[in-house]
Amino acid sequence: MLSESPVWRIKYLPITLNEICGRKDIKERLKGLINDRNFPHLLFVGSKSIGKTTIADLFSKAFLGRFYDANSKIVYANVPLTNEETKQARLESYISTNKIGSLAGKKITTPAFIRVKIKPFVQLKVLGDVPFKILIVKDFDSLGSNQQAFRRLMEIYGTNCRMILITTKVSKIIDPIMSRCQVFLISQVNYHSFEELISTIAEKEALKIDKDTIRTLYEITAGTLSNAIDLLQICSISGNNIDVDKLYENFSNSKNDMIKSLLIMCFKGDFRKARELSRKIQSSYKFTSQEMFQIMLNELAKLPFSTYSRMKLINLLAEADFRAIDGRDTDIQISNLLAKICQFSEVL
Amino acid sequence: MVAQNTEKMPWVEKYRPRFTKDMAFPTAKVGRQKVDLIEDLKKFVISFFKEKEKLNEVNRQIRAHNRTHEEKEYQEEKKLPLDKAAVLLEGPPGIGKTTIAYALANDLNMEVIETNASDTRTKGALESKLRETTKSRGIMDFIVQSKKKLILVDEIDGLYGVTDRGAVPTILSLIENTQFPIIMCSNDYKQNLQSLYNKIKRYEVNSLPDEEVLKITRKIIVKENISGISEKELNLIIEKNEGDLRGVINDLQGVSQGSLNKNTKELILNLNRDSTKEIFSLIKYLFQNVNTLKEARNVTNKSDVDYNFLYKWINENLTSYIRLNSEIANAYDNLSLADEIFGRIRKNQYWSLLPYFYDLFAGGVVLSRKHRTPDESFHRIMFPRFTSTGFFSLSANERLVVEKIQKKYKVSDIEAVQDFIPFLKLLSGTSRKQLQELSDWFEFDVNEKKLLK
Repeated sequence: MLSESPVWRIKYLPITLNEICGRKDIKERLKGLINDRNFPHLLFVGSKSIGKTTIADLFSKAFLGRFYDANSKIVYANVPLTNEETKQARLESYISTNKIGSLAGKKITTPAFIRVKIKPFVQLKVLGDVPFKILIVKDFDSLGSNQQAFRRLMEIYGTNCRMILITTKVSKIIDPIMSRCQVFLISQVNYHSFEELISTIAEKEALKIDKDTIRTLYEITAGTLSNAIDLLQICSISGNNIDVDKLYENFSNSKNDMIKSLLIMCFKGDFRKARELSRKIQSSYKFTSQEMFQIMLNELAKLPFSTYSRMKLINLLAEADFRAIDGRDTDIQISNLLAKICQFSEVL
Repeated sequence: MVAQNTEKMPWVEKYRPRFTKDMAFPTAKVGRQKVDLIEDLKKFVISFFKEKEKLNEVNRQIRAHNRTHEEKEYQEEKKLPLDKAAVLLEGPPGIGKTTIAYALANDLNMEVIETNASDTRTKGALESKLRETTKSRGIMDFIVQSKKKLILVDEIDGLYGVTDRGAVPTILSLIENTQFPIIMCSNDYKQNLQSLYNKIKRYEVNSLPDEEVLKITRKIIVKENISGISEKELNLIIEKNEGDLRGVINDLQGVSQGSLNKNTKELILNLNRDSTKEIFSLIKYLFQNVNTLKEARNVTNKSDVDYNFLYKWINENLTSYIRLNSEIANAYDNLSLADEIFGRIRKNQYWSLLPYFYDLFAGGVVLSRKHRTPDESFHRIMFPRFTSTGFFSLSANERLVVEKIQKKYKVSDIEAVQDFIPFLKLLSGTSRKQLQELSDWFEFDVNEKKLLK
């Protein structure tokens, strides 16, 4: 079914563990675990969008076989609870005085996220003929202090459910969690396998692409397959011949580009238009002010400025970001920065 | 009515018309057609009792039939069609919806059974209060010819459960089984009452014209012997209440009774019941007339607008009054500091910081402008269009799209919004065919397709 998708990145998504592009050593290790029918809690570490979740998912699929659907779950740790879920958590946080037991009449202090999303899954018994269930927690680092709640969970329910924790920032994982997991470093796809995959896709889609172009593709997308395939698809629309010029023409990181144009608009001193654009960005990408300032900082480094004005701009950015920590209205805080840059642009 | 009681009564009750002939006639329409409300209601009540009598006769025969026949040959008892049993009056507050019902009952020598949102708030209470009167007639009714009754379900939109549809079945079954005509009143159109609207006649009652209000007010002024109120003040009161007669009478009583000093009188006169309008005038005043910090403080102190909103309004309208970049930067410096302070107050309960918050967001913003543009008075005040909560949340439509994507492709909500949907937009922007293919595969409907454009 996936192979009929009009989106190539879904169409060429690997279906089995073997189909995963490159990274032979990791595949070997994982296959070893499957043969043993046992593994400890795992921690997958690797940079953004290189396929950690896909590997974890396919691994659990291979491990659980036909009981995959009932015994595995992916939880996104950085997605906040919806209103209904918070309501549910609040409802369950008191244990009725009618119940018998030491907890009767007490309040449960487990974080809502754990209570709603993790516990119901790990507490349920295994279904079917598999040794344990598998829970995949994505963006584990964004749990912050809630990671502490996982320590006992991993021990108590460890026999019933193994966890695969996925993170991009290993430094943010607390030590007790690290010591409970076997760490897997997921590397980037190397150039050889990248070339192989792109060539097969090009063959299937009847594209003409030479090795130099593939090399450029590898470089500008920094080896992330999903972006590379996206770019390839966009390029293919205007014709089957793909060359380096076309790649550069179509390559855009839309969110970064938008923020770049926001900055440029500010340097031109047009505050009103800049605010309109910033609102548009905020509503379409759902950025928090922090994320927005982060990207601005990156984009600022790419723009040509003297050392003095660059430092001055970073100063403004830092000030605004600092204020936004306690601020309640994202729009006001971002507008503040935009206004300051507009003012500064008159001095330039 | 005892004489000494009338002294203490609020004037609204004191001057509530007892018969329809004393009333200020509100105009009403059904659908688009204008109707004579009082005549229509009278007809409705009278015809209800006629129809009911006929129906009771028929039902009596049916019951007799059922008694003598087998169970499978039973006939259903007939019921009155819903629109013959109840009507709905809808209109702004204070124009006499409740009064009409009472006056009508007095005209026809009936008794009113009233329920309203203040005493019956739940489904259960509503049922138990009205059950006896709706389902069967009291046992005494067979012996003594008692007064006929009129049921008034007031403030139906304030009834608990209207918001979650729970109340509609209750109301419908109430109407179905009623023995007496029902008049219902409501302030606004409520989406959840849609199924009720389809079944009964709905009168949209218009607000009273100012001349009508003025006539009645003058009558009261004469009767109460009010002196110290000028023509101008009277007009002000009537104008600001927008046809809300009850509001006018209340204000009149407030202004003329007791010994008020000038300030309080002014306050009552300027106090606007409509808060949005007040914000409009407040923002306008703030940007156009305020020149010193003292004045700014005066404005924020006097107004009873929620400051939670007020500074968002200022954020929205700031750019139309302040043009120079340096001044905008100054204003935003103050406004964002105010926002930060407000955040800290809410987070750590540092309420002692509140005075700074006020000064910064009002005075700080307005006074950072040194130059004024001459065409100030023409600026339109804008509603805060953009509200950001600072938390990741999806609109209903976006949520649908994301869920449909997640059925086919495993991505988190955030990844979908920040990474995948932008790509889909790019892809679908290239050609119509692409868009069609994409939405076919993800099974997007028309509304969700719009999000990709």
